[in-house]
Amino acid sequence: MKIKKYRWLLLGLIVLLALAGCQSTEESPSNIADETTNQTAEQGEGKETEESSEPAKKDMILSTTTSTQDSGLLDELLPIFEEQTGYNVKTVAVGSGQALAMGEKGEADALLTHAPADEEKLEQNGDVINRKRVMYNDFVILGPLDDPAQIKDKPVTEAFAQIANTNAIFVSRGDDSGTHKKEMSIWQEAGIDPIGQDWYVETGQGMGDTLRVAAERQGYVLTDRGTYLSLKEMLNDMVVVVEGDESLLNIYHVMQVNPEKSDLINEEAAEAFVAFMVSKEIQELIGQFGVDQYGEPLFFPDAETEGESN
Amino acid sequence: MGLIGEGLIKAVEMLLSGDPELLAITWLTLRVSLTATLISVIVGLPLGVLLGLVRFPGRKLLVTVINLGMGLPPVVAGLWVTLLLWRSGPLGQYALLYTPTAIIMAQVLVSLPIIIGLTTSTFQNINPQLIMQIRSLGASRWQLFIVLIREARLAILAAIMAGLGRVLAEVGASMMVGGNIKGETRILTTAMVMEVSKGNFDVAIALSFILMGLAFLITFALTSMQQRKRSA
Amino acid sequence: MIIYELEDVRYDIESKKESRTILKVDHLSLQEGEIVGVIGPNGAGKSTLLKVMAFLLPPTTGKLTYRGQRINPGAVPMSVRHQLATVFQHSLLLDMDVFHNVALGLKFRKIDKVEQNRRVEQWLERFKVAHLARQHAHTLSGGEAQRVSLARALVVEPDILFLDEPFSALDFPTKVSLMEDLKQILKETKTTALFVSHDLMEVKYMTERLVVLIEGHKAQEGPTDAVIHQPNDQTAPFLNQWRQFIHSFSGRIGSPSLPY
Repeated sequence: MKIKKYRWLLLGLIVLLALAGCQSTEESPSNIADETTNQTAEQGEGKETEESSEPAKKDMILSTTTSTQDSGLLDELLPIFEEQTGYNVKTVAVGSGQALAMGEKGEADALLTHAPADEEKLEQNGDVINRKRVMYNDFVILGPLDDPAQIKDKPVTEAFAQIANTNAIFVSRGDDSGTHKKEMSIWQEAGIDPIGQDWYVETGQGMGDTLRVAAERQGYVLTDRGTYLSLKEMLNDMVVVVEGDESLLNIYHVMQVNPEKSDLINEEAAEAFVAFMVSKEIQELIGQFGVDQYGEPLFFPDAETEGESN
Repeated sequence: MGLIGEGLIKAVEMLLSGDPELLAITWLTLRVSLTATLISVIVGLPLGVLLGLVRFPGRKLLVTVINLGMGLPPVVAGLWVTLLLWRSGPLGQYALLYTPTAIIMAQVLVSLPIIIGLTTSTFQNINPQLIMQIRSLGASRWQLFIVLIREARLAILAAIMAGLGRVLAEVGASMMVGGNIKGETRILTTAMVMEVSKGNFDVAIALSFILMGLAFLITFALTSMQQRKRSA
Repeated sequence: MIIYELEDVRYDIESKKESRTILKVDHLSLQEGEIVGVIGPNGAGKSTLLKVMAFLLPPTTGKLTYRGQRINPGAVPMSVRHQLATVFQHSLLLDMDVFHNVALGLKFRKIDKVEQNRRVEQWLERFKVAHLARQHAHTLSGGEAQRVSLARALVVEPDILFLDEPFSALDFPTKVSLMEDLKQILKETKTTALFVSHDLMEVKYMTERLVVLIEGHKAQEGPTDAVIHQPNDQTAPFLNQWRQFIHSFSGRIGSPSLPY
């Protein structure tokens, strides 16, 4: 009797799981099983696509920075893109360093990053193509209310130098992200090597976490304005001490990974995505994003119709 | 207190509102973790029984490797699976990276050694006389296997709970191979990490309550299954 | 009629340190319906002999024949296994109730449910443990557990029953009542049995024919009483010890109602 009971329980569990598996494959067309079979089948046949209805390769991997995801911008834009084109965007939000590395290895189809100097290197090496400027926001230096290093409204490099001279705590992302790269270039300009200094804290985490560490430790921190605005409520006693400097512009570019990198790259989708991001409609949406919530936009649309300048 | 209270209220709110995204995330978490555990059990249980009962050359080495694997950091599993599934990797053509399948693979890697290892040590401790007794009653190999599994069910259910617990709690591998993609590979743990970095602590806490609730329900179900016989 | 025959069986233990012969028996056979005892001092190889004969332990070399069929100990047909059952010193009941423990062998033989229930009930009754059917096996006393273990073996109505020291772990009164019941049941069902024990009193009561094992060899074989009363040079030291013990024992208690 008892053996039987257990058997039924076990059987029930198995059936449940099997059911779970099946159900979900039926449920969403974007599910793995369907997807891969569809995909390989369609790839194999080399089926041509009719405009906007059912693309041959459905999935597109977008490698981007955490700031675009954390701000909620992509959640707003991507559904529109998917709706318009029928592509399915898989957003992998990582630091700019990793995002660019994924592009370099051909592991992503399109990139949306904010590390212009490194992006240019990739472009020169032929790793990425069709690179277009999308938008910018700016970096600001946050610091404790009492501003122990007395850097309020100083020029950026001078401010950094003074932080170092006064041994005031500085919190860095230390994660090779766009923000981190920006910070390192400022240190270099100021002629200071902060690595290993007592006052220099590296979190190795995303912007949000790093901001919280800075608030907790009452240190200075370089952040993009968007993330700062979206987290402002939680950052007690932290204020913007330096802003508005030309060199603090944070420029985002969108680009395609060179399809020669791998047979698996979804060139059509990436091309469509680049075009989408710089389109007039989307540029307008970017300009409005965040105004409702924060009273000011998080990003400023910055696409050019032609040419390229950083 | 403030945040935790808010989180709890938020959790109840989110659950009551039947937010489809939350339901999808919870369902995916459940589906992925249970599938990974089930695969680990189907593969690991017979292997564990074999390793526990049969002596063969190289067995000690194998057991050592599996015991090491029991402590395999999830991110290491995640990294291996990533390397395997890269577009440039051996399984790249199947486009499995950033899919629930990839998460399942990584989670199997994490839970399989636990199932094998705990099953092995359980069966190593089974009295050889008992095995002889069961065989002497006319059991075939398969019948012997079933009877022994049943006999060791307490320990096996404990192994399953340990494996499932590890898989449910794991975040590093799922983040790496799943990518925390909205609507596709976002599970409770990765969503929590993301919400924390976005500063949405109340949502993160709410998610944590849901995850704990889930873990509790499953563990409770398995435990009551495990303890059932005591009352009989 | 001979239903089981063993010829030139040898069982060696090979380890890195030593190579030892545990068992070396040239011939042993079982007649249908008889109860054969195997006795000998500790380490004489009695238990090994039983396990080899029950196909639970493949011998190093040797020929085993069951009902005219030569059996390869490495690949014993299930049909042959299903004719045999073994009871060990420890009852080794599984973590389930008494009823299901007893039904185990019938389940293995895929006997239908109704017949299973009928037979389990019948054999629990025979061993006077029917009232324990729903009790969990691990809550039984030693004597009850061994009754259940015997019922579990006999419920499959084996052609040959192997008994490996089944009474050794029991206290005296429990042992006596169980031996009486078992002997009667074996006689009634005409079951062939091999009964291994180190206790001469048990073999004297239970068996008709006796084999004495000394250091893995068959030292003497014959009708039980004859062997006990006329030991040979090899078996005398062991058997005489026991005879003296029985003598002084029954002298002291003086109870003719004892089965010994």
